[in-house]
Amino acid sequence: LAAQDRRFGYILVAPALIVLLAITAYPLGYNVWNSFQDHNLENPATIGKWVGFAKYSKLFSDNQFVPALEHTVGFTVVSVALELVAGLALAIALDKEFRGRAVVRAAVFIPWAVPTIVSAQLWKSMFDPQAGFVNYTLQQLHLPLAHTTWLNETWTAWTALLIADAWKNVPFMAILLLAGLQVIPRDIYEAARIDGAGPWQQFTRLTLPLLKPALMVALIFRTLSAFLIFDVIYIMTGGKPGTSTETLAFLDYKSFIINFDFGYGGALSVMMVLMALVIAAAYVRVFRTDTTL
Amino acid sequence: VKAERALRRITPGLTVAMAVVLVGAGACSSSSGKQTSGSAKQTISITLQGLGAETTETEKQIKEFEAANPNITVNPVVLSPDANTLNQQLSQRFVAGDQPDVIISDVAFVAKYAQAGWLLPLDQFSPNTSDFFPAQVKTTQFNGHTYGMPWFSNAEGLYYRKDLVPTPPKSLAELVSDAKAAMSKDSTLKEGLAFEGDKYEGSITAFQAFEGTTGGTLDPANINTPANQQALQAEQDTIYKDKIAPTAVTGWQEQQVENAWTSGQTVFAINWPYMIADSAKVAALNGKVGFTTFPGQNGQPGAASLGGDDLVISKDSKHQAAAYKLIQFLDTPAQQIERAVATGDAPALTSAFNQDLFSKASYFSELQPVFQHVVNRPVTGTYSAVSDALQTMISTALSNQSSGAAAVSKAASAVKSAASGSGS
Repeated sequence: LAAQDRRFGYILVAPALIVLLAITAYPLGYNVWNSFQDHNLENPATIGKWVGFAKYSKLFSDNQFVPALEHTVGFTVVSVALELVAGLALAIALDKEFRGRAVVRAAVFIPWAVPTIVSAQLWKSMFDPQAGFVNYTLQQLHLPLAHTTWLNETWTAWTALLIADAWKNVPFMAILLLAGLQVIPRDIYEAARIDGAGPWQQFTRLTLPLLKPALMVALIFRTLSAFLIFDVIYIMTGGKPGTSTETLAFLDYKSFIINFDFGYGGALSVMMVLMALVIAAAYVRVFRTDTTL
Repeated sequence: VKAERALRRITPGLTVAMAVVLVGAGACSSSSGKQTSGSAKQTISITLQGLGAETTETEKQIKEFEAANPNITVNPVVLSPDANTLNQQLSQRFVAGDQPDVIISDVAFVAKYAQAGWLLPLDQFSPNTSDFFPAQVKTTQFNGHTYGMPWFSNAEGLYYRKDLVPTPPKSLAELVSDAKAAMSKDSTLKEGLAFEGDKYEGSITAFQAFEGTTGGTLDPANINTPANQQALQAEQDTIYKDKIAPTAVTGWQEQQVENAWTSGQTVFAINWPYMIADSAKVAALNGKVGFTTFPGQNGQPGAASLGGDDLVISKDSKHQAAAYKLIQFLDTPAQQIERAVATGDAPALTSAFNQDLFSKASYFSELQPVFQHVVNRPVTGTYSAVSDALQTMISTALSNQSSGAAAVSKAASAVKSAASGSGS
């Protein structure tokens, strides 16, 4: 009977599995298939020509992929670290009891509800060197950098991108961590206090370890989405100055949408999928073995 | 249990059926089929991009065509005005076999569509291209065939403030000194020269103006020439050495150039002719707006980047004769003039620049001299990739990451491989 039950279970999940296969496995497989071929719509004559790993070796020789990878990794590390610290601080603050907490919580999460394409456009105009809010404010406060053309230099452009990205994603980080904080029973803090643990000890010995599952989810989500960053770049810089803010996803967009090159774009996508898998696996491993944090 | 067994029987079938549907949807269904005669009753489709006066006028012209050809109904298909989005939409339609019969194509992309095998060579109709601007005719030619007909033209020129600079400059050096002189006299002027410096297609057209001052040409096979290096250096110098252009231009597209111009804060601007009409709405600029060719070498007029649209026909269209009829209709002098007056877009037909047009819209007489100096962007089947490499080259220099010369020599191999189709 157990075997029959299991079989019936399989049948019940079959439709969902089929849909999943159709919308993820099929395109992924097609991408892998393309990545071993010449497949450029601009070159119909050579479509389907088997080229082995040529597209992959091109990734490492054409001076586009490696810089984009460096930009992507740098952005991911910095933005996730910043957003983790800010998100955690925000979550802890929102976890405390205070008057009007519900309203404040709702207000904090609003940026996350704004579509990135909209918020990026807003940040782009705020960083406008002549009419933007950022330079205006700096000037009113007599601070330096009031005459910066933010998107014209590598470091200032990345700063602007990080701010725009953090504005939207710190609340997301905070939501996930707040949910994690709320399931921690309050009485253990009381017990810790009686045992003479100060606030910092409580934080490192109780909060952080118990927050681990939520931290892992939040970090995996944010790391992967930072790794695939596209929309903020597309709207705010288009990869400029030069190619200084081109990321992997932006390069992928250029390959597919601008150059119609499904072979090269396919190889790039496969690499991105592999790297995303490595990131996810690394997180799972780190959080499983390390118990003290 | 019976239901379960039934389900089990069905499931493999379902899976196969879904797979078949999926594979079927992915495969393309391109059957060219039989041609419909031009005199038969039929419906053809034409792409329209965006909204506004241009689309309203196109719809009016379609009505007039239908009235003159009662057997043909024209069905507009609205697509994106953004070049990249449009390319994507067209590629999806072509792969799906759902392509419009007549496509309005930016002059920069006809060769790309031709190389992709989407377009019908028009040789069978022996099109007469002698009366169009030769540079624009070149945008329709690819691998020895003619793939389209020019529809309307555009030429980027130099705007100058007649009240600040009574006679337009004869050289770039003169332009720089005129700008500096005007700025030092009037402190309300924020900049001497506004141009498209953002990393996008428009940066290439603005760069072509500077190419005219050194005699450079955008030959993708050979970008790294002294003339090109000097041109990019000169463009960079306007920002960092002469300081007649603000660093903010590195984020400017046509719209921001227009904002600077119409706010009266700039002496010179590089932009398309549409800004003449928009300046006329600004009282403070009344009678102060001059439009001419960017200065070139030896006191001669320089280069004006060619824009505009061509009309092309899908290779798999079953209504080729009717589609060509529509193109011919839109290219008649009467239609060209009607459209120019209604939209401000210049005719592609040189003979349409006549007294009839000037009497209806005098500003075309101001444009005519600029149109004598139009130059093409590279005409290549891989223009998107070439354009991307050129944009990177220009952005690298304009953001002062490297000198003009270094940016050109660094970009040369990327531009070349993009043009040969081996780049990405």
